[in-house]
Formats: sequence, structure tokens, C-alpha cells
Amino acid sequence: MALPGSLDALIEALRCLPGVGPKSAQRMAYHLLQHDPRGAERLSAALSTALDRLCHCSRCNNFAESEVCERCASPKRDAALLCVVEMPADLNIMEQTHAYNGLYYVLMGRLSPLDGIGPRELAFDRLLARAGDGVVREVILATNFTNEGEATAHYLSEMLHARGIKVSRIARGVPVGGELEYVDAATVAQALIERRDYS
Amino acid sequence: MKQRFDNQRAYLLHTYPYSETSLIADVFSREHGRIPMLAKGARRPRSALRGVLIGFQPLELGWFGGGDVKTLAKAEWVGGVPLLRGRCLLLGYYLNELLIRLLPREDAHAILFDAYEEALATLAAGTADAPELRRFEKALLREIGYGLTLDKDVRGQAIRPEAHYLFYPERGPIEATADESAPTLAGKTLLDLAADDYRDPRTLAESKGLMRQLMAHHLNGQTLQSRRVFIELQEF
Ligand SMILES: [Zn+2]
Repeated sequence: MALPGSLDALIEALRCLPGVGPKSAQRMAYHLLQHDPRGAERLSAALSTALDRLCHCSRCNNFAESEVCERCASPKRDAALLCVVEMPADLNIMEQTHAYNGLYYVLMGRLSPLDGIGPRELAFDRLLARAGDGVVREVILATNFTNEGEATAHYLSEMLHARGIKVSRIARGVPVGGELEYVDAATVAQALIERRDYS
Repeated sequence: MKQRFDNQRAYLLHTYPYSETSLIADVFSREHGRIPMLAKGARRPRSALRGVLIGFQPLELGWFGGGDVKTLAKAEWVGGVPLLRGRCLLLGYYLNELLIRLLPREDAHAILFDAYEEALATLAAGTADAPELRRFEKALLREIGYGLTLDKDVRGQAIRPEAHYLFYPERGPIEATADESAPTLAGKTLLDLAADDYRDPRTLAESKGLMRQLMAHHLNGQTLQSRRVFIELQEF
């Protein structure tokens, strides 16, 4: 027996969530409709408000409700430092460090040649324009230490250098409080390759 | 047939997300060729696989299962090869994409595996890469059943270094007439390519062009994403 059209449409729509297959989509739909109609209303309203109000900040590319987000507009932040991260979650962890007071640029991805994600898909031109505003003195590349994150950092650093902008890359190595014995071998190998003078 | 394999030398070619916490790894193993396998929980924050499943790094894998997609049981990082960097990293993606697009699944290609490993080693050292790329491309064509005839033309005549040739994919070289308008290859290029001798800059340039033409032919007009991204990056 076929489901009512609107129920079918809801189940189908829920499947757009990552990791949600037909079974879990069905479970979610029945749960919302049967046990939590108010939750469903809140969800529906929040979704449509978010879609309505959110855009990308013209300075940092993160989600914002105004053309320039609060952080980018804040006079308390050091506008001479620009930290490039892959995703909003990376920005959040940088903020949690309380060790950085500059501004950000969120790429919303990384170079991934095998998935067809290149400089156009990531709008590198927007980042280069942002970094070249004359106020930024140093760009800190905080992309991930994966092959994709490294490729992104490498090409961004070449492009930024060519435009006369100072570039740095966050350091990697053994975690704070980490004991070598319990760190994975690839990390120890790279920490050894990237060892530095110590005095 | 449910089989289990352990301690298999392999490289990770690419990964695809699968459910919230797992991924499908496209793996190139020395003894069993290209195999897709499910890496359960590999995307969980504390997964032990996170620091191990790294592309362009020698791995030792164990898996089981009888279907098309195996289940990854164990992964160990072997190491000894620095991570690829910059332009060499992009060339590494090119090798991986060729394997993904052209190599059928579960066909053992130990010779190709060794050529891949050698190419990665030179890319990791960041040194002259063109000879290794050409050697890899030649090995790939041979392994998928399109070995190149480079010392004789299609009529069985020996290639003359000073003559000029057109190269027809799946057939071979044909001597070009003096008024040929299409780009031709020097006979010496074909002989150098056969001998893996790339000291002559013309050999280097012409053999690169020939390989591009042959790869395009075997890809049936599909664009190589890694090549497109590579070219776009040079333009920025
Ligand atoms: Zn902003």
C-alpha cells in the first residue's frame, strides 16, 4: 500500500541528511509526526528561518545573518592576521583555544582533485582578494594535515607569496601531553621530519 | 566464498563517505589488485584508522568478505616514504585517478603495483618525475592489455630515428608523409620511449603528448578531474 503523498515526501526529504537511509528516514518521520509534533514544528520553522536569513559573510565566508558578520566587524580583533580554515567547525576549535585574536577565512572545503574540487569550486579568487585588502599582514594556513589539506595549503601559499603576502602554516606534531609510545607512527615520523632547532 | 587476507601490501587510492561514521576505501593491493572495502567507523573522531588510512603511504591491510565490497579488518601504516608535497602531490592524484578509471577491480597487477610504488618514491623525493610517470603510464597500458609497440611500425618495419610517425591508438606508429598536417612524433622519440631514455628534451615533450593522447583514448573522452584541477591551479 502506498503512503500518503506528503508522508512519502517527508521521508524522502529526510534522506538528504548525511548517513540517513530509507529506514532511519521513515523512523524519524513517524517519530516527529506521532510523538513530537511540536518538535516537528520547531524544526520546520528553524529550518525555514535559517534558510531565509543565513548568507555567507562577505569577509570570512562563514555563515552570517548580515553582509559582514559580528566577528569580522569587531574592532577588538586584529585585522592584520587572517587564518584560513577548511570548515566552520575548524574556526570554532580555533576560537576555543583563546590563543588567537585575528580574523578568519572559511574555505567551506578543501582541494580534492579526485572529487573534482579545484580552485574554482573553492573560489580561491575571493580569498586572494580578501587577503590582498592591504590590511592583512600575515595569512595563517590552518587547513587539515591530510593530503587534501596539504595540497590546499601548498597552492594557497604559492598564490599568496606571489602577491607579496606573508604566509605561515600551523605546526604539527605530537599532541600536548602525548607520550610517544601512544602516538601513531605516521605522526611521529612526520614530527621527526619536521624537527626544529632546540636551544 | 568468504575469504580472509592478512598483511597485504597496499595503497589507498581514494575514499568515499559511507553512512555517518564509515567510509569505502578504494584500495590498490599488490596481490589482489584494486578492491573496494568498507572501513567501519573510520570517520569516528577517535578511530584508530584515522592516522593510518593515508593516501600515497605504504600500508599493510587485512580484509575479509565474499562480495564486491570487502570489509577492512586491519590496517597498518608501514611508512618509510615521506608525504607527497605540492606539485608532486597533484601528480600523485593523477596516478590514482588513472588507476581508478582504467584498472578493473580484483585483477592482480603486481608489476603495475611496483611501477606505482617507484613513481611514488620519486614523487616523494620531489625529484625528476617525468620518466617515472611515463614508465607508470606504459606499465598501466600494458597491464590493461594495450601494450605499446614502439620499435616497429604497423607494417612491421623497424622504426627509423630520423623519420616521423603518426601514432594510432591500439594499432601503432605509421610513417607520416612529408605533407602530413597532424602533429607527428620523431622516430627517435618512439625508440627512446621504448628504452625509457628521457634525456632528450624533445623525447620528454613528445612522449608526454603521446601518453596524453593514449590516456584520453582509453578514457573514452572522460575528463581527468585531477588534470583539470592541476591546470586550473597553474592558471591562478
Ligand atoms: Zn565574517
